[in-house]
Amino acid sequence: MTTVPTKAKSTAARKVGRTAVPRPKRPVKAGRLFTPWLLVVPALIWLVVFSLWPSINTVFLSFTDARPLSSDAAFIGTENFRTLLADPQVWTALLNSVIYMAICLPVLTVVPLLLAVLVEKKLPGITFFRTAFYTPVIASAVVVGLIWSWMLDDRGAINGMAESLGFVSESIPFLTDRWLLLISAISLTIWKGLGYYMIIYLAALGNIGKELHEAAALDGAGAARRLWSVTMPGVRGTMILVGILVCVSALRVFSELFILTNGTGGPGGEDNSLVMLIQQYARGFSGNLGYASALSLLLFLVTLVPMLVLARLNRKGAR
Amino acid sequence: MLATSACTGGGGSSSPTQGASQAPVSGAVTGEITLQTWALTPKFTDYLNGVITDFQSAHPGATVKLVDQPGDGYSEKVLTQAGSGTLPDVVNLPPDIAYPLAKNGLLQDVSASDNTLDATYVKGAVDAYRYKGVTGVFGYPWYLNTDVDYWNKTMFSKCGLDPAKLPATTDELFTQAATMHQKCPDDYLMSRKPGLGDFTLAGVQVLNGDGTKFTFADDPKAVELIKRYATAYQGKLMPSSVLNSDYLGNSTLFTQGKVAWTTGGATSLVDFEKNNPSLKNNVAVSPALDIPPLYIQGISVSSKSKNLATAQAFAQFLTNAKNQEAFAHLVNIFPSTVSSQSDPFFSQDDGTSQGKAKVLANEALKTAKSLTPVEANAAMTTFLDQQIALALKGDTAPQQALKTAQDKMNSLLANS
Repeated sequence: MTTVPTKAKSTAARKVGRTAVPRPKRPVKAGRLFTPWLLVVPALIWLVVFSLWPSINTVFLSFTDARPLSSDAAFIGTENFRTLLADPQVWTALLNSVIYMAICLPVLTVVPLLLAVLVEKKLPGITFFRTAFYTPVIASAVVVGLIWSWMLDDRGAINGMAESLGFVSESIPFLTDRWLLLISAISLTIWKGLGYYMIIYLAALGNIGKELHEAAALDGAGAARRLWSVTMPGVRGTMILVGILVCVSALRVFSELFILTNGTGGPGGEDNSLVMLIQQYARGFSGNLGYASALSLLLFLVTLVPMLVLARLNRKGAR
Repeated sequence: MLATSACTGGGGSSSPTQGASQAPVSGAVTGEITLQTWALTPKFTDYLNGVITDFQSAHPGATVKLVDQPGDGYSEKVLTQAGSGTLPDVVNLPPDIAYPLAKNGLLQDVSASDNTLDATYVKGAVDAYRYKGVTGVFGYPWYLNTDVDYWNKTMFSKCGLDPAKLPATTDELFTQAATMHQKCPDDYLMSRKPGLGDFTLAGVQVLNGDGTKFTFADDPKAVELIKRYATAYQGKLMPSSVLNSDYLGNSTLFTQGKVAWTTGGATSLVDFEKNNPSLKNNVAVSPALDIPPLYIQGISVSSKSKNLATAQAFAQFLTNAKNQEAFAHLVNIFPSTVSSQSDPFFSQDDGTSQGKAKVLANEALKTAKSLTPVEANAAMTTFLDQQIALALKGDTAPQQALKTAQDKMNSLLANS
């Protein structure tokens, strides 16, 4: 009796370029079935215990009034979320985080690319520049923060220089004015992040064929044109990745603001980020774990938005 | 003497509830217990081991294991232990860290088995372990300390002030700060913003009688105090960094030689001179302004201890007059036992600045008071600090800043 191949089978046969011949079924050994799973079990346990479970627990806690020492957390529905929506501190922190991201995203996506293009060239002494740009990345965030605090202090290096040169008659309140403090922290993040993203771009630039640049040059394209028409399309995927990384780290900023404000969130707490607020509510014996978890969930959702937008842009561009 | 027999209830089974008295501890003083201290080793390992050996000799069958935790992050460590049910049997806890543990039934009411507390220890120290809304005493007072004032003599002389006429009150501090600013615009005398303790010093009732509501914003004296600091800040009598400084900010600036005044414990001078040798022989010491603050360390007993009788007996032994005095002779701290108050060791000046600081602190302890209520947790004081900073800058009216802080603190207190 002739077997009529199904549409799927015939398509598969066409793809491999040969007639589909049903293979005889071989008994699958139990070991072959379970061995791969056994190999992933340690990773799976790690993932569940240290990643999935804490995440799920955070969602659960956000609907409770959990306290550090109390074992009987009560379910309180959406009360934590209603409280946070009415909390002006949360809106201030959210605004700070969004401003942080809005400035960091374009700067840290584009400038490191330009730096990478500059230091990619094989010139004598170029290693020095690569190392110099990368040095802030390996420096400890705490040390860098303290150095910047000293520089930006009322009697720090920057104010001292500005006053001695006669640019200002009074110290610029870098560390006590709400917006100047935020801009100072953003500058610190950018300064520290340039080298890191530059390295990522350097790896991506290595994948763009030289012949493309040569062909463009033969066609009369200048350096700017080649950057726009050859380099940038070549690193498009990397730019999206860098954009996502910058968004996530900007929205979750902590150490820069914490160090520059001595952990106070600035005068009036006006320079708190969402993470600093979570830390303030969650710490100590009387910490409000339920509320801090609700804030964490808000931060997660806020972080998800730019990531989804960038991922969508990536898909559109790939088509 | 600790009651260890003829009582109902077994060791370790006690599970107190808030506001309820615990049963007296019973059972033999045997078995192994753990003592947790706070940043006392290796400097005082020999002392602690000596006390442990004496206790073990007096109670054959009892064993004490010593564990010391580092200074930084101690409260977080205790929180983790308490949350995971691994709180050591005997723990060194100041009253503010002991409070939430007592509220949650994790500490033993030592007064349930020991009716000699009030006769053995100075009143203020025992009272520090009595909490509003929880019946009992949740720690044996161990050692006491207070703040004295330290002044940079060189800065005083340079800026038109007399190191022999140091400020003795807050009023004089403001006056001399203005003089210093006039003469040396880049130097400062004051470098701290006020907090809850300053309201207490100004005679403001910070918390109501049953500990359920903060009341400082309702008192005009608190508003006046903030106005005064705001005027001083805006008149540049303080560095702008005070707006973002934590409670240790002024001692850091003092060590750096940027400000001429800080408060500190009786042993702080050693650290100042170690971190900035130019301060050696250049620091004047005087009593704290107005009312000196009282700092208390105590020894608490975990209510979940498997050898509750042994744990409580050891806590009592470690804090008895003999052991406290021996400890206080090793370091500049002060015993909390009544019988030790007349020890001449603490009232003799050896002529050094450190010796003077010790004598001043000992004298100050007679009038010292706990200035900050234990109910005020970190989230509350952070919010208050932020609002006071706004008022100092002039961005918010002092009355409004205090009202905002009080409302927020009361909502946090209601939920804590």
